Amino acid sequence: MSPINSHLPKLADKLLQWILPDHMVEFIVGDLEEYFAMRQEKLGLLRARLWLLIDVISVCGSFAFKKIRSNSNYRTMFKYYFKLSWRNMAKQKVYSSIKIGGFALGIAATLLIALFIRDELSFDKHYKNQDQIYRVLNESTHPEHMERWSAFPPPIKPALENEFPEIQSVGRLINFDWFDAGSNQFRPIEEKANIYEEGFVYVDPEMLDILEISMVYGDQSALDNPKSMVISKSKADKYFPNQDPVGKQIILNENDNSIYTIGGVMEDPRTNSFFQFDFLITLKAEEFWEGEQTSWGSWNYSVFVKMKEGGDPRQFEEKLLVIRDDYIVPYNKERGDQRADDMAKYYRYDVQPVGDIHLHSQVTHDNLKHGDIDTVWLFGAVAFFILLLACINFINLSTAKSANRAKEVGMQKVFGSVKSEIVRQFFTEAFLYTMVSFLVAVGIVLVSLPFFNTLADKNLSIPFSEWWLVPLLLAFVLTVSFLSGLYPSFYLAAFRPIQVIKGNLSRGAKNSKFRGTLVVFQFATSIVLIICTIVTYRQMDFILNKKIGFNKDQVLMIQGASTLGNKAEAFRNELTRLSAIENAAYTSYLPVDGTKRDGNSFWKEGRRKEDKGVGAQKWRVDENYLTTMGTKLVAGRNFSADRASDSTAIIINESMVKEMGFENPIGQKITNSFEPTFHVIGVIEDFHFESFEREVGPLSLAYGSFGSIMAVRFQPGNTDQMLAQVKEVWDEFMPNQSIRYTFMDDSYARMYDQVNRTGKVFTLFAVLAVIVACLGLFALSAFMVEQRGKEISVRKVLGASTTQIFGLLTSNFVKLVLIAVVLALPVGYYMMRSWLSDYKYHVDITWDVYVIAGLVAVFISLITISSESLKAGWMNPVKKLRSE
Amino acid sequence: MKETKLGEFEEVLLLLVGILEEDAYAFKIAEEFEAQSGRSASIGSVHSTLDRLKEKGFLTSEMGQPTAERGGRRKRIYTITNVGRNALQASRDFKVNLWNQYPGLAIDKLNILGL
Repeated sequence: MSPINSHLPKLADKLLQWILPDHMVEFIVGDLEEYFAMRQEKLGLLRARLWLLIDVISVCGSFAFKKIRSNSNYRTMFKYYFKLSWRNMAKQKVYSSIKIGGFALGIAATLLIALFIRDELSFDKHYKNQDQIYRVLNESTHPEHMERWSAFPPPIKPALENEFPEIQSVGRLINFDWFDAGSNQFRPIEEKANIYEEGFVYVDPEMLDILEISMVYGDQSALDNPKSMVISKSKADKYFPNQDPVGKQIILNENDNSIYTIGGVMEDPRTNSFFQFDFLITLKAEEFWEGEQTSWGSWNYSVFVKMKEGGDPRQFEEKLLVIRDDYIVPYNKERGDQRADDMAKYYRYDVQPVGDIHLHSQVTHDNLKHGDIDTVWLFGAVAFFILLLACINFINLSTAKSANRAKEVGMQKVFGSVKSEIVRQFFTEAFLYTMVSFLVAVGIVLVSLPFFNTLADKNLSIPFSEWWLVPLLLAFVLTVSFLSGLYPSFYLAAFRPIQVIKGNLSRGAKNSKFRGTLVVFQFATSIVLIICTIVTYRQMDFILNKKIGFNKDQVLMIQGASTLGNKAEAFRNELTRLSAIENAAYTSYLPVDGTKRDGNSFWKEGRRKEDKGVGAQKWRVDENYLTTMGTKLVAGRNFSADRASDSTAIIINESMVKEMGFENPIGQKITNSFEPTFHVIGVIEDFHFESFEREVGPLSLAYGSFGSIMAVRFQPGNTDQMLAQVKEVWDEFMPNQSIRYTFMDDSYARMYDQVNRTGKVFTLFAVLAVIVACLGLFALSAFMVEQRGKEISVRKVLGASTTQIFGLLTSNFVKLVLIAVVLALPVGYYMMRSWLSDYKYHVDITWDVYVIAGLVAVFISLITISSESLKAGWMNPVKKLRSE
Repeated sequence: MKETKLGEFEEVLLLLVGILEEDAYAFKIAEEFEAQSGRSASIGSVHSTLDRLKEKGFLTSEMGQPTAERGGRRKRIYTITNVGRNALQASRDFKVNLWNQYPGLAIDKLNILGL
């Protein structure tokens, strides 16, 4: 036996001392010690300790509550607190349900927002080598256009691999409509029918390893062969159910150059990742045109790197400037580009951790769907305020009711309760209310999650399976009940028994100022949210209905027209013969998201070495484009299919005229340095071809007779019939490919989904805040009517009219609401001004916004208090005066 | 009102306390229980059961001598009370009475008569 070793660990000893009833400590600990000694000898120290742990838990489990029971006063008191709180709750049903309902709404809103924020923050945090995976971004620090973008020229990959020993591997990604990236008509080679699929990207084989993509079939080498492709599990199940598709061939857009072999199947991408693609096409040995892979001039590739362990991303970022100085600037200098000097000065790189892509990519052009850290903060703040409103309700209602509780407190004190006991009682009450509200709130969340998910475009659920959920929620309940119980309990416990019992207490009136302040705060918050709602709605309306320079209504976009091939012209003729169709144009370029873009630099002919180029879009459109889109020619003429010279003709917009500095644009010659010189034949009005967040930039239209989309302008009237006719014609031409179309106004509206969503979420929370505030106001007014019942009766007896009584009762509250309006206006103005400043084109915040918000607040509060006030006014005075 | 019925585990512990006499403290009782029944009993449940038996008045206890392997702590020695003994007796009588009415036994008797 080794008595020295055999002593119990100190921690166990302490714990037992603390938990066990005093008289039991000695012999129980003695027993455990004996056990411990025995096991240590038989099983060794480690296992003896494990057993000890089990023993301690079992002993504590058996005796944990004995200590409290031994001092049974305690338990009785708590039982009494609960009983009393429960009775109070049950006695006043309306009051309690308002208290609980308001609280539950507040908590439910907070929980929903917490789930939302949790999901936003969880994006791309799941990697094993989290701190080794980075995205490299270009950054322009030029004061006039500060921005970041993800696209690099292709030789960046070998350059990074060869010159940066801290890099383990480099992978590139192309994730916009480009060759076979984007969306395609897809079919397994042995099938006949084409099916439209989205989510195609080009990636380097290394990306599978860098982004830790787990494979269902095949392995990390699945993209190592040229023309191989990896598809997601769900797509594999769709096209190759119950089989291993590795080795199968597929063809895109009926294009013989686009035959790929499936090299593997990956797990479906998780929803909380930026990487939402279903078809990965390898970049191995891919070259899109002669010399493309070695040119530092074509910027199309996003770059991801996996650093070696211990590599310092900041140092890497600094070192990266070598790429600029050794490759990019010399390349542009050599070609005489005037921007080369600006580049050396303002152009740098940013190494972004993969976990930051989702929330920290503002003003970053990468064609990915992002969240926004500001929105996360904003929602967090809104959640906090709604919870605060709910807590205020609780405080307000508790103190308002204090007059009724005062006698109870007085009696308790007379019978010997001390202050701390009364405080404890009210805390218990707060806890009980919070607990009940909380359960109701969880119910609300469960019911409303599906709606909220649609609204916020998320897939949220309560993570019941997580171990931390229950402790966290419990901590939340305790904190909230503590906060909401703090003021009422001390306020109520401070009553002096003599005064209370004598009836001297001014029946809650003393604190009406405090309560008034809280009401003002509640309404000010609600009004701010109302202002936000109105302004976001107006901005949305402005975006959707402003004169945008083209007519987005009554335009059908038939997608996938490129598969028509040489039948295109015939199809167009057939279609325009329909009476419902006015016009139709082939193009790949349209002023809505999801269509092609082609950025170029233009110079006046012969001035390439002398001038800085003008960055402009160059869109290929046919001669029907302008009429179909309803865009106005300001000068010159449209394309004509008959003039052979129009193959080098170009139409530019007003903004481009200004940027190029043309006095007389028609007939001017311009060049983009790699195509033949264009001659300007017309000028069109500026139209919004990009998001409203940006100014309308230079745009040029060059002639191209064909594209992947057919834009069809149809006449107002029976749209269903028109669609059926169009479909019939399509099926005639393309029996193996079902027609796919979108309406242009829908696509346009979808560009502003985010604004729309923000607006709706604001509305939701504004409504919630108003409801919570009104619930509080309602209960307060009811309370006041109750308090002043006798006064009102006396007034009535003396001849006051219902109107006078109503005025008397409501004026007080209306005053408070008016103060709230005055306070809320500047806050709302400030918040919305900063939100609107993100938009180059936006509505102004006019005075009527404030009037509407103020009127809404006053009106709602009047409705809330009037029911109780009118009841008081109509009451038979005898009833109140008879008793006593 | 004190509960005066005996549960199975309680009954066994009560018996063990009687058997162990002056060695009847929790650790030994648990050890003996394991040795005799082959089942293990957690020290916590042994303690709480002993505590309960004491509350019911079936056991009394006094503090014994400290020993080295207990880290110098005293043990609580349990002794069975008269009430406890009576309860054991009553429990046994009750069961014997039941066994006497059990059909298997009756059949045995009939068989014997039949021979």
